[in-house]
Amino acid sequence: MDIFFGALQDAFFAAIASVGFASISNPPHRIYPVCAGIAAAGHSLRYVLMNALGMHLVLASLCAATVIGLLAVFLAPRTKAPAEAVSFPALLPMIPGMYAYRTFQNLILCLTGGEAEFHHYFYLCGSNGLTCLAVLLMMAIGVTIPIFIFKRISFRATRQI
Amino acid sequence: MMGNSLSAGQQGGGSHATVKEACVFLSEYASALLGCGATCIRIEKNVHRMAETVGVDYSMTIMPATVQMTVWDKDRKHSYSNIQKIRKSGTSFNINTQLSRLSWELHDGKVTFSEAVCKMDRILQTRPENRWLVLALASVANASFCRLFGGDFISMGIVFIATLVGFRIRQMMLEDKIDIRLAFVCASFVSSVIASAGYVFGWGTTPEIALGTSVLYLVPGVPYLNSMSDLLDGHYISFLSRFLDATVLTVCLSAGLCGGFLVMNLRWF
Repeated sequence: MDIFFGALQDAFFAAIASVGFASISNPPHRIYPVCAGIAAAGHSLRYVLMNALGMHLVLASLCAATVIGLLAVFLAPRTKAPAEAVSFPALLPMIPGMYAYRTFQNLILCLTGGEAEFHHYFYLCGSNGLTCLAVLLMMAIGVTIPIFIFKRISFRATRQI
Repeated sequence: MMGNSLSAGQQGGGSHATVKEACVFLSEYASALLGCGATCIRIEKNVHRMAETVGVDYSMTIMPATVQMTVWDKDRKHSYSNIQKIRKSGTSFNINTQLSRLSWELHDGKVTFSEAVCKMDRILQTRPENRWLVLALASVANASFCRLFGGDFISMGIVFIATLVGFRIRQMMLEDKIDIRLAFVCASFVSSVIASAGYVFGWGTTPEIALGTSVLYLVPGVPYLNSMSDLLDGHYISFLSRFLDATVLTVCLSAGLCGGFLVMNLRWF
């Protein structure tokens, strides 16, 4: 039951986060509701996969991004926007931002002490950096798979018939 | 569809003028898409669609700061080349969407070639989102991001204020045409100093989450995603340049954050 309410809360805040971060990239207004819904579905799926099934962050991100890509391919034509204009904003709450800046923070800290500190911080730099890269790559692969499978639909989204 | 193809007589300037017009339009179109943060696969699809409609052959190279294009007529008698500088409008899904739609409208014969040229100019005039709305939405977004990482409501409030001030600084510095990297360092420094209030005054039970999430609004998520999309598509130069751009901004925000830690005399995590 905790997982259920946790997922609901996760979905709610992910939706707000995606709309807010999307607004920085000037999207057309009509994509906001679609993008919030897709982000909520994707992020809460990742939450459930990681907390209920104990899945690793990288794999869970791949699954969530695939679902986001799938939803975007089918919902994007309704908003008359390209699939990536819907799916990229929806992915924003999953961007491993903390891993990204910790990579460089620990890189700086490598130079501050002796050998033991260097090993510790270099390890942190490497593990954060690799996790960040792997998650980013998996997110891009996940969101691209549906676009390639449903090529006809996804590149016609902006066509008005 | 026939109505859109350029013929020599129609343009009155012979085939070469036709090819020139097509080349200038297509290269400006591609550079506008590149400038508003479209993925390379999108640029290629859209340009290909329009070139087919207009009835010309083309070759295009997408570089980080320019688009190079050569357009031939179908008989391979005339060609015209143009190296078009990127048109920086900042990431804009709105312009991306409208330009993509324009390519279909031309393809489906809803607009003629000359109408498309005018329409593209109008699309590029599209004003960015209202900055106060963006400021409010981004602050609320970062506060809810803090919640996603497990922060309590007091931490959310701290992050909201930190983002509000930091994002406004970023906006003001970018409006004054100050270097974007300096703007990122300053914004993340100020945000992290404000977010350290949780530590300084002992507010809330999760001060470390407040501090950690306070700068996340600066992470260039869309450029990272674009670069990965280019990587998967085999556009390695574009992938590298976009990835490095985003990495430089991430380094800047880490630097600002480290400065904030130093000034507030906090323990590194």
